[in-house]
Amino acid sequence: MSSRDHTELANPFDRSSVSRRWWLLGAIVTIGFLPLVFQDSYWRTNLVVCALNVMLAIGLDFILGYAGQLNLGHSAFYGIGAYVSTLVITKLGLPFWVAFLCGIVLAGAAGMALSMFAVRLRGHYLAIASLGFAVIVHQVLVNWISLTQGPLGIYGIKPPPEIALPGLPVISFGNSANMFYLVAGFALLFYVLLDQLVRSPIGETLTAIREDEVSASSLGINCPAWKVFAFGAGSAVAGAAGAFYASSVGTLVPDAFIITESFTILAMVIVGGMGTLIGPVWGAILLTVLPEVLRGFGDLRLVLYGAALTLVVLFMPGGIVQAAQIVRAQFDRLRARLEAG
Amino acid sequence: MSDDISGRVAGQADGRRNSDKVLFRSKSLNKSFGGVHAVRDISLNIPHGGVFAIIGPNGAGKSTLLNLMSGLYQPDSGTMSLDGVDLVGLKAHRRVRLGLARTFQKIRLFKHLPVLDNVIAGFHIHHDIPAWQYVLQGTAFRRDYARCRDEARKLLSFVGLEERAKARAGSLAYGEQRMLEIARALATSPRLLVVDEPAAGLNAAEVEKLLDRITQLRAGGMTIVIVEHNMDLVMKVADRVLVMDYGQYLFEGAPAEAQVDPGVVAAYLGA
Amino acid sequence: MSTVLLQQGINGVVLGSLYVLVALGLTLIYGVLVQINFAHADVVTIGAFAAYFFTFTFGGNYLASIAVALLVGAILGWLVNAAIFAPLRERGSELLPLIATIGVSVLLQNVMLLWFGPIPYAFDSPYSNQVIRLWGGTFITGQNLIIIAVSTLTIALLYAFMKFTFMGKALRAVAQDRETAGLMGINPNHLIMLTFVIASALAGMGGAMLGPILVLTPFAGTTVIVKAFAIVIIGGFGNVEGTIIAGLLVGLIESYTTQFVNPGLIDIVVFTLLLMMLAFRPTGLIAEKREENV
Repeated sequence: MSSRDHTELANPFDRSSVSRRWWLLGAIVTIGFLPLVFQDSYWRTNLVVCALNVMLAIGLDFILGYAGQLNLGHSAFYGIGAYVSTLVITKLGLPFWVAFLCGIVLAGAAGMALSMFAVRLRGHYLAIASLGFAVIVHQVLVNWISLTQGPLGIYGIKPPPEIALPGLPVISFGNSANMFYLVAGFALLFYVLLDQLVRSPIGETLTAIREDEVSASSLGINCPAWKVFAFGAGSAVAGAAGAFYASSVGTLVPDAFIITESFTILAMVIVGGMGTLIGPVWGAILLTVLPEVLRGFGDLRLVLYGAALTLVVLFMPGGIVQAAQIVRAQFDRLRARLEAG
Repeated sequence: MSDDISGRVAGQADGRRNSDKVLFRSKSLNKSFGGVHAVRDISLNIPHGGVFAIIGPNGAGKSTLLNLMSGLYQPDSGTMSLDGVDLVGLKAHRRVRLGLARTFQKIRLFKHLPVLDNVIAGFHIHHDIPAWQYVLQGTAFRRDYARCRDEARKLLSFVGLEERAKARAGSLAYGEQRMLEIARALATSPRLLVVDEPAAGLNAAEVEKLLDRITQLRAGGMTIVIVEHNMDLVMKVADRVLVMDYGQYLFEGAPAEAQVDPGVVAAYLGA
Repeated sequence: MSTVLLQQGINGVVLGSLYVLVALGLTLIYGVLVQINFAHADVVTIGAFAAYFFTFTFGGNYLASIAVALLVGAILGWLVNAAIFAPLRERGSELLPLIATIGVSVLLQNVMLLWFGPIPYAFDSPYSNQVIRLWGGTFITGQNLIIIAVSTLTIALLYAFMKFTFMGKALRAVAQDRETAGLMGINPNHLIMLTFVIASALAGMGGAMLGPILVLTPFAGTTVIVKAFAIVIIGGFGNVEGTIIAGLLVGLIESYTTQFVNPGLIDIVVFTLLLMMLAFRPTGLIAEKREENV
């Protein structure tokens, strides 16, 4: 009965958790160095946007790539997180971190509500329902002027309050480097949390639901409940991104959350590699950085997203992750041939 | 068959293999779809242990009855219970926790996942560690994880697929996929295993292997319901049969008697 | 008061019939392929631009431009099917084609943006300013009359086609059961292509007629598409009669909401209705149960 007898049954966690720890360390070091490399405010803003996009992409991927739910309304949860956290500060006078929590909770609740509502709907219907939901949220943000100030927007949003720990220098988030560390740090935290979930029976359950719901129910899996869970988790992360967006950009307008935003996040997930957690990270980084690099060609950002999304789906549906696997396989084959001959 | 999986395949009955005791009972089940009255007034008693076959020509309503049993459809009227627990209104996934597992006529494996993972999916309801452990993944988690993989491999070797554990389920031959489905269903530790047209699409050798496994399961005390339209196959292995036609009860009793019952013969020959 | 009611009713029917044209394409495609073509909206926009340029840059007849837009739409439909849906059909994924069309849609919109710019084009057809007095003090512009006439004719023709001709029946056969239809000598792939071409031609035509009454920017299609989805769902995916009724209904709702409530709330009203529909009758107003074969 002991698994120690079979070497192949030896817990693979031991092996991969070592390499995962190295990757984690690498990520932390990279995050640490980036603001030192990019000192100008333009690029530092991009870094923050990049971190936000990573958060959005992994949240959407949890819903779409793992639970298999085509959520086209992710922008709504982003917007809910942003507006709720901002309004809690400006209208209720509560401190930032309480507002942050409110944003997460409400975005998560909205995600769960949408999922509960759509629980019986299959793929395409859910896609349209989520789209409809995003349109409604956007329109509410635009039209409920007394609450959100509508298209004029909310200005002068302050960054998170300073952290003053005894014995250490005061950490002010007006400093763009610190802001990046904060957002990227949370992005990393959420990544690790979601990654742990994905590598556990919860991940297996979600995958089963994604592959075949009828089959999954026949194994005792309560599909509706798990779909609601996945939606809640993914949308909560989007809510956190929204809260950070508001406090880092300082201005909030409803048009930052139109449905096109959902499509750009979708593009990041697909281009990166749906169904893996690291894929969307690469997708987010690539699709945030590339348009900036190509800025000389005019406002090609969305053209790029559209083209990338279409081409990836047609020719490399596994995205960057799949491409990397193909490249690695070629290398292995090359190496084997060199060793043999 | 090793002791280790006998617990899983013994049907976890309360020790006694009392063939008089009824495990699954239904009374006057009815189900219609639009104008089609697929299941008409079906009452049956499936005893503990043994193989119970539901047979009938194509279109007899067998699959509908099975779907009613497993919870995919809710009956229009009638009652059903598993070991005394009322099933009507109970959702499909809850019935699995009561010990009812099933396979599908049209194979519904997770084709893109490895063979082993398909079986592990069946352990979903049997993880006994608290949810927060999934995030922190400490020793208890690792132990549970290893245990699951162990048991999954044992189930695979029961159906003869241990070599193919890492292969993609979709790459298996049709007969192997059927066996994998059964292994996956067994992972849920059922007391009642319902198999839908398991022999469809299998060649003679695969059918033999299937019957052999079913016989082993029965020897271990499991209650098995087979839905089939191939009479000969079923006669070799069934203890009791229910014959249906046009959604209605035609005959219930011993297989040998079914073969000579005039109503049954007429239904099959279309007289 | 009744004048206003009647007037808005007329406007509603005009709007509704345009929505029906666009939505019919979507529902036809879904009926045959069980897929959603997100780029459908952009066919509408492109149709509008095609009509615009034909009329103003090449000095053509407006009515002829509707035919041009139809043609352009048909070609686009052919392209989208050939490039996206046909290759992806092999893979058997349910959601990938939808995602691919989202990509195409984003791409088309932004290419148009680069090419045509964001400033709305003033697309005045020669009939936009013709006013015809009707009974009860209401009136209708020439443009709107054309819209109703062309739409009704087209929809009627399409309906007759689906119900009475062999091709139409073949289309419905493929929608019901592709394999069996194939066994009966119908080539599903050709029929699917035909469906796409018809659907996109309808969209192009709708665009040509919408041009003068909508704000013509590269994003004009988006305002229509999400409502078109709502209509298709309310009417029932793949259900032609349902789509017609739902389209007219949405047109009327929009028209009355604009008049009596706040125009900014149109989208909210329509989409709340959509969500209600999805909650209580996901198969649509005229439900056609599609049982899943287990």
